[in-house]
Amino acid sequence: MSEKRVLVKVDNLVKYFPIRAGVFKRIVAWVRAVDDVSFEIYEGETVGLVGESGCGKTTVGMTLLRLYEPTSGRIIVDNEDTTFYFMPKFKAKKYLQKTYIEKFKKEDPSSFTGIDKKYYDLYKELGESGFYNKLLSELNEKKSEFRKTMQIVFQDPYSSLNPRIRIKTIVSEGPVLHKVIKKSEVIDKVKAALEEVGIHGDHMYRFPHQFSGGQRQRIGIARSLLMNPKLIVADEAVAALDVSIRSQVINLMLDLQKKHNLTYLFISHDLSVIKYMSDRVIVMYLGKIVENASKKELFDEPLHPYTRALMSAIPVPNPDYKKKRIILKGDVPSPVNPPSGCRFHPRCPVAKEICSKEEPQLREVKPGHFVACHFPGSLK
Amino acid sequence: MDKKPLLQVRNLKTYFYTEDGIVKAVDGVDFEVYPGETLGIVGESGSGKSVTSLSILRLLDPNGEILEGSEIIFDGKNLMELSEDEMRKIRGNDIAMIFQEPMVALNPVFTVGEQIMEAILLHQDVSKNEARKMAIDMLRKVGIPEPEKRVDEYPHELSGGMRQRAMIAMALSCRPKLLIADEPTTALDVTIQAQILELMRELQKEYGMAIILITHDVGVIAENADRVVVMYGGMVMETADVKELFRETRHPYTWGLLNSIPRLDIEQERLYNIPGIVPDPLHFPPGCRFNTRCEFADERCRKEIPPLYEIKNGHFSRCFYYKKVEEAQKLKKAGESA
Ligand SMILES: Nc1ncnc2c1ncn2[C@@H]1O[C@H](COP(=O)(O)OP(=O)(O)OP(=O)(O)O)[C@@H](O)[C@H]1O
Ligand SMILES: Nc1ncnc2c1ncn2[C@@H]1O[C@H](COP(=O)(O)OP(=O)(O)OP(=O)(O)O)[C@@H](O)[C@H]1O
Ligand code: SF4
Ligand code: SF4
Ligand SMILES: [Mg+2]
Ligand SMILES: [Mg+2]
Repeated sequence: MSEKRVLVKVDNLVKYFPIRAGVFKRIVAWVRAVDDVSFEIYEGETVGLVGESGCGKTTVGMTLLRLYEPTSGRIIVDNEDTTFYFMPKFKAKKYLQKTYIEKFKKEDPSSFTGIDKKYYDLYKELGESGFYNKLLSELNEKKSEFRKTMQIVFQDPYSSLNPRIRIKTIVSEGPVLHKVIKKSEVIDKVKAALEEVGIHGDHMYRFPHQFSGGQRQRIGIARSLLMNPKLIVADEAVAALDVSIRSQVINLMLDLQKKHNLTYLFISHDLSVIKYMSDRVIVMYLGKIVENASKKELFDEPLHPYTRALMSAIPVPNPDYKKKRIILKGDVPSPVNPPSGCRFHPRCPVAKEICSKEEPQLREVKPGHFVACHFPGSLK
Repeated sequence: MDKKPLLQVRNLKTYFYTEDGIVKAVDGVDFEVYPGETLGIVGESGSGKSVTSLSILRLLDPNGEILEGSEIIFDGKNLMELSEDEMRKIRGNDIAMIFQEPMVALNPVFTVGEQIMEAILLHQDVSKNEARKMAIDMLRKVGIPEPEKRVDEYPHELSGGMRQRAMIAMALSCRPKLLIADEPTTALDVTIQAQILELMRELQKEYGMAIILITHDVGVIAENADRVVVMYGGMVMETADVKELFRETRHPYTWGLLNSIPRLDIEQERLYNIPGIVPDPLHFPPGCRFNTRCEFADERCRKEIPPLYEIKNGHFSRCFYYKKVEEAQKLKKAGESA
């Protein structure tokens, strides 16, 4: 296979939500929903993001799409830093200064790679003010481009489509706004997009409530497709659907991916669906990535104790299948006050003393297989 | 099976009368539950699982009616013939029920302890002090840490998993002969689901009660049920021993369902798709209710409702052409071993 291209690169992403209390709504604590998360998504692949309720999956997706502003971290799309696109200009400049200029003045240029190298060359060519001018110019166009290329399909097929407007408008308003399609093309394009997801083109004049859950999810997909996106974040896109409808939508998503070379970030709490859909899998626990590996690696040899436990907890639809039951003790702790050291240590069956003291870093223990555990592979 | 059934449901029909018409939510359901076993009821949304269990307890919404001719025989008594008073004694005592969302069943303004004590005092001749002690024991039994403290907490102070444990404690405090669990773990995370299912298995071993486990998750069925009822459109499509059902599937709907789920235990090329959508219960098709989605459907299927054929001892299928599923399964097995 030819070298794959990185489409999205997320560095040290952090998203904290404030908890306010009292008359003055002072901030009394922070929900550490996503806490220093880094990963890459290659063009044309499906990355599965799995973990239990509240571990931060949706927050990763929403922050990546800039529907939430990140607390800190860097989001690179198509080899451009997009982190500052949605900041006010003075903040954006400050961000560029802290992230790049300070670094360029301090560090050895020969050590720069990727985006750092690209921006360093730009800085050398244009000088400091030229560098700012270039990157901060045409921010509106950049934002619009970003909105076009990054799409989302949500879980709830009932609330994600506005009940008062017709399917035609629901599917076409984004693309028209962002000038992906002309007004005169709307009918033809909507018809084609609907038919591609298995909905009769003539149904574009109907309202959302006239469709079943699975059909609404198809409409959500058609709406994304028409934007010509590079990345589609699917957040629990099949979770609310019945089994027989779920497999229809899953197969549709895979067919569309092949046809349009789409890239998916597929978020789900269901490890079986993740296994079927994904090329690579990221497992999260309490705001952290605990494991990131190719599908085969992850399912053949899960190395993080939490991944092992999660796999063993999934009920297998085969009464003849003998599996080892690992029953974790206790509940998932709160992300407001996560446990010290390894966040999984109060529930980990193989935790040792160091685990409550030192936080394990995400390390590459085998090529392409990353684990954040002091004792990877120790839970058999 | 030589044992006598604890519960027999015969020709159960439960209809709802709505402005739009009659919803035949449950339309001629038959099954039995034997003492100490777990009967799994599986089916997709709207197939009539909850209405079946609510009918057993006679807890239907006012617009619902169990039709004349339906029989629910529990421990030798036809529950259809009991007065409301007699029925109340059965509920929570001989038959207990737990739901998907414990917040619905637990009263938010009473402590967990008060609610378990109430259940105990209602059905057993003990003092208040004894009831409190029994409540604490029960909370300990279901794995709630520090039960002496938790007994005085309110439901909202507990996590989802703890609440479900508290509800199980309440349900089991009177040692029911039958526990109906309607999607008891659907709202929970998988690691918590595994805890709760393990707990239910342990308690069943200890108390020997029978369980009706209702779920849409075929995996939960495979791992927890002894026998299975597959429902679709308010009818039983197939019933069998759990291993038999998976190995020797004899209904096109069961067959489609089993092949359309992503699985951890095997590699799958492509998931099977059951075409179309679940029919609206106001407009079920004439004939077999699965005929709009079935690849074997023919003229006969569109006219006549197939009977529940007994294929083997204890294995039933509501399909004229169950042999075709047998052939499809043989082909698939041959393909897999090749
Ligand atoms: N807008 C918000 N304000 C405050 N806290 C939030 C907000 N959104 C999410 N959180 C908190 O952040 C944490 C992560 O939530 P998130 O929705 O990302 O989890 P998730 O993995 O998607 O869970 P689920 O599987 O339930 O969808 C949770 O503790 C959640 O309560
Ligand atoms: N009070 C009611 N009035 C009218 N229709 C009702 C009423 N209660 C239930 N129904 C209908 O009866 C049918 C069966 O519902 P039931 O709740 O038993 O489904 P279920 O199999 O438990 O589904 P789920 O998996 O979604 O819980 C559905 O079509 C439902 O809409
Ligand atoms: S670091 Fe320690 S506590 Fe954390 S998962 Fe590994 S062994 Fe368990
Ligand atoms: S009776 Fe006919 S339509 Fe119904 S399941 Fe059998 S083959 Fe299909
Ligand atoms: Mg979420
Ligand atoms: Mg139900």
